Amino acid sequence: MISSALEMRDISKNFGAVKALSHFTIALKPGEIHALVGENGAGKSTLIKIMTGVHPPTSGEIIVNNRPITFKNTQDARDLGIVAIYQEPMVFPDLDVIENIFISDKKSGAFVNRRKMRSDAQTLMQRLGLSFDLERDARSLTLAEQQTVEIARALSMDAKVIVMDEPTASLSAHEARQLRNIAKTLKAEGVAVVYISHRLEEVFEIADRVTVLRDGQFISTRDIGDVTTDSLISEMVGREVGEFFARVPSKARDNVRLRVFNLAREGVFESISFDVRAGEILCMAGLIGARRTDVALSIFGIAPATSGEIEVAGKKVNIQTPRQAMKLGIAYVSEDRRKLGLLLPMPIFANASLATLDRYISPWGILKRKAELSMAETFRERLNIRAPSVTTNVSDLSGGNQQKVMLAKWLNMRPGILIFDEPTRGIDVGAKAEVHKIIHDFAAEGGSVLLISSDLPEVLALADRVLVMREGRQMGIFDGDSATQLSIMNYATGQNITREVA
Amino acid sequence: MTAPNGNSSNPTRRLKLLMSWEGFLLAVLCLVFAVNASMSHAFFTVANQINLFNLSIEKIIVALIMTFIIINGEIDLSVASVMGLSACTFGWLYHAGVSAGLAIVIVMGVGFVCGAFNGFFITRLGIPSLVVTLSTLIGYRGLARVLVEDRGINQFPEWFDALGQQPLLGPFPLSLIIFFVLFIILGFVLHFSGFGRRVYVIGNNAEAATYSGVDVAEIKMKLFIASSTISALAGLLFAARVGAVRGDVAQGFELDIITIVLLGGVSIFGGSGSLLGTLLSILIVLSLRNGMDLANITGHIQTGLIGLLLILSVLIPNARIYASRFLQAKPS
Amino acid sequence: MVRFPIKFAPQNLRIFGLIVVLICVLLFFATQIHNYLNKDLFIRVSTSVAIMALIAIGQTLVILTRNIDLSVGSVVGFSAFFLGGLLTRNPNINPLLVVLAGVGFGSLFGMLNGLLVAYANVPSIIVTLGTMALYRSSLVQFSGAKSISTASLPQWLVSLPQMNVISVGGYDIRVTFVITLVVLLMAHFALTRLRGGRHFYAVGSNPAAARFAGINVNWTVFLAFTLSGALAGLTGFLFLARFGNITVVAGLGFELKSVASAVVGGVNIFGGSGSVIGAFLGAILVDVLDTSLVRWEVISEFWREAVLGALILLSVTADTLLSRKLLAISLKRTKSTQEQMATFQDSLTTRKGP
Repeated sequence: MISSALEMRDISKNFGAVKALSHFTIALKPGEIHALVGENGAGKSTLIKIMTGVHPPTSGEIIVNNRPITFKNTQDARDLGIVAIYQEPMVFPDLDVIENIFISDKKSGAFVNRRKMRSDAQTLMQRLGLSFDLERDARSLTLAEQQTVEIARALSMDAKVIVMDEPTASLSAHEARQLRNIAKTLKAEGVAVVYISHRLEEVFEIADRVTVLRDGQFISTRDIGDVTTDSLISEMVGREVGEFFARVPSKARDNVRLRVFNLAREGVFESISFDVRAGEILCMAGLIGARRTDVALSIFGIAPATSGEIEVAGKKVNIQTPRQAMKLGIAYVSEDRRKLGLLLPMPIFANASLATLDRYISPWGILKRKAELSMAETFRERLNIRAPSVTTNVSDLSGGNQQKVMLAKWLNMRPGILIFDEPTRGIDVGAKAEVHKIIHDFAAEGGSVLLISSDLPEVLALADRVLVMREGRQMGIFDGDSATQLSIMNYATGQNITREVA
Repeated sequence: MTAPNGNSSNPTRRLKLLMSWEGFLLAVLCLVFAVNASMSHAFFTVANQINLFNLSIEKIIVALIMTFIIINGEIDLSVASVMGLSACTFGWLYHAGVSAGLAIVIVMGVGFVCGAFNGFFITRLGIPSLVVTLSTLIGYRGLARVLVEDRGINQFPEWFDALGQQPLLGPFPLSLIIFFVLFIILGFVLHFSGFGRRVYVIGNNAEAATYSGVDVAEIKMKLFIASSTISALAGLLFAARVGAVRGDVAQGFELDIITIVLLGGVSIFGGSGSLLGTLLSILIVLSLRNGMDLANITGHIQTGLIGLLLILSVLIPNARIYASRFLQAKPS
Repeated sequence: MVRFPIKFAPQNLRIFGLIVVLICVLLFFATQIHNYLNKDLFIRVSTSVAIMALIAIGQTLVILTRNIDLSVGSVVGFSAFFLGGLLTRNPNINPLLVVLAGVGFGSLFGMLNGLLVAYANVPSIIVTLGTMALYRSSLVQFSGAKSISTASLPQWLVSLPQMNVISVGGYDIRVTFVITLVVLLMAHFALTRLRGGRHFYAVGSNPAAARFAGINVNWTVFLAFTLSGALAGLTGFLFLARFGNITVVAGLGFELKSVASAVVGGVNIFGGSGSVIGAFLGAILVDVLDTSLVRWEVISEFWREAVLGALILLSVTADTLLSRKLLAISLKRTKSTQEQMATFQDSLTTRKGP
């Protein structure tokens, strides 16, 4: 009988009164790719933290090599070959690739042997099927390359269990494919890969088994051949799916509010042309790396275009700063709400008024506190933001509620053009539906929406028209009613896909 | 750390305020007052209090604007050198034949330019304020020395000296009046105005501020200009109070000033703190120095103790955080 | 394949640039000042750099870890005073013990800094602002308002600054300079060839990643401050030897000069990159400018500080703009390679359904 690489028996974890994980059991086999799926808040990240020694479990056992183990810290887990790789790359920008891989090597002694390190690094990279300049500083590497360096580092430490937390979330199609190949290579070398992903098509492509979590509970572990997308989703969500993907008829009006012609930013994107009418929802679809956010940022003035034209309500405009864009009624709701969209330590009302602060400043420069608070209250009700009061700090809210506060900030501006970047990333299903309704209501009242989304079902549900981008180029615009996942993927990958997707 | 622009309309918030850093400072202040009063009956007299303020008036005036700078997530190490430069420029101009009144105006202009210079490198070239103001700390001091060399310049007009040394309104000299007026104006701006809100926002997360349409560069530039201009004013007040200038006027003051602000609860990382905290810190430091004078503790030891106080002001809150984290494991 | 021993990297470019600037400065002043380039210049600069470079090296160790040590001036002064007092009372102590005492004494101060920064989590600028004042006031207390005078010091110490290790054609290579060179080489070796030394760079480059990778960040930072204190203590010894008369203001302002030397030498104030060789060259450049300005008749000697300030600002600006340009170029190169790979390697996407 093959012994497991890692076993967790009846693991529970409580944070005060919150039961993050209850009676979870799993046995990882060496040389398998084991997918872990579940909605946000299902307990995946808690599980990973316990697995890698960040938190101790409240109860239950962790078994490695048939012996129960207690991790005092992540170093203990690392010594046993259990390593996690997160989306935030943990590399050293000032050191080169070789040093990044071997920096924490404890076995080679006190002296640095450059030659040996270089050849070892080359070997490692070859094993992973990659080749790039090892002398480069990690700062100049792309996100995908930095991830591979981390994986190489894990391999160099003889990792037996490598956890990958949403590894392809920010990668281009090509890079994601490379990463999946690396996962397969690791599997062939006998490593147990725990693969966490929201992209079910990936799971089906590479996983051997899949475990479902929901609300901190273990739901199931099955062989990949025994599940379907629908069965997985219904286990993740706990109910039958289908309702909130229903389409709503277009509310588009005649007047064009935003028109973009031959927009380009040197080295980033080119030849982007489209228009958005009042009441219309134009979805920008494509895989991550298609540079849709860059197009949005050029319209919003953060990273202006180097050539091309932008017209707002028929007038040509030159947008060089966010303030100029906002004056023209353009709002941009960022995909990274924690870093770019919100001020986490500050209260809801301070966040809600941030884009429209001038409205709450009297002629003497004094803040109109009452008006600010009442505005925040209004939005709290309207968007159903669950919080004790509008003076609660945003950091204390859940992801979905944080997203709503960010939305409140921009809706308060009463924008004519709302650019919404990945509206439902990282929020639970219930909040997702609420956000979709808010977008529909906004369009119904005559607002124009430019929606960037990597979630195909979401695109199909919301779009009046779909614009597909790939690697900085526009591949086509077509009608929302007749779009299918297949046709969008066709354009997004620049291929003709011959096999149907169910 | 207190939340900025906190709303006191509900009782739990008021309680939070009391248990905050400002509340802690208030307790310490009362303690210091009690000890000082027990050591000398003269402590609470108007004359003593005014004298207490007077000796450090230039530092505490600059501490007010330094509060803004640090809340904004920056630092200005050049303030003392600007004080020195402004005092020396005044002396140099006056002795070159320029009328004192005109010299004052020119010196304020010099302060403005120093701030704009700092601001240019920080906002347009994106060089960290620590490095820029470290260089200008040396550079501006150097310019002061070029003007004054190793001489001392005194013999200022009588009215100038009088303004610096004699009481103007009742028992209060001009400098003290300026301090109070500045405190009220700056306190108002920081805690009740849109500009103040933006200062906090940028200190919290400058990128998010940019993405929400805040003109970060403009506000930083304004702050650095304000910092250097007020420092120039402080330099003039110093020259008037002491009646003479030398190349090393105000040398080393920046450390006291930063200590006062950090002690007042402003986080070195930006985004939190209050002018009230700075005021309480000023009162504590001044009273402490006075008390130490009374107890015959020499100036150097006083400085050392203030240094110790600075370290403790961060150490103690850290210890509290560790203790609470230890007692209830929180999800990160 | 023959590998060129020095990487064509921004770091080395910087040092190369520094050497070029240094040569230009020397040549410039040679045209301005009569009888400038001669042995006297070499001796004068090497003697004073011996002191400045030592603390610049120590400061570099700290800055590499993304911290700063503003207390070095106070430690230098205290160490000089302490050793002076020690020698005044026990003039027959073995010189080596005196040096060790200086190093040990400085280390104690460094360790206190290190404890507060690494283990108590207080930001280094706050700790060292505080200890700068604390150490200085302790010195004043310790000195009892007296000062050390040369007359009370043993002969070997007083004549140390004049002693040469070797003299080549009139170019005296002083013992003090050699001490600094030895420390420089040791530091450079440790930072480039010892794993623990590389950790300094890792910690400064990305402290979170360093922790994540299993590096003992606290220990590394603690070590950096301890070494900085140790070097400051050693500098106190050299300072005592050079000046003899020590008052309580000894070493005042040294911390700024040490940071300036490091920054001019290409050490990144945010940590993670830079070299002690650069800091050494930076100290030389600062010293050369200082000495030369005094002798240059065109402008008054009082311009020294202003020029220093301008120099620091200039070098940081040049560094920042240069590294931004280099990063942009390298990213462009990456993107075009990627695009080529993407178009070349595109294969049929197979999508497996349930």
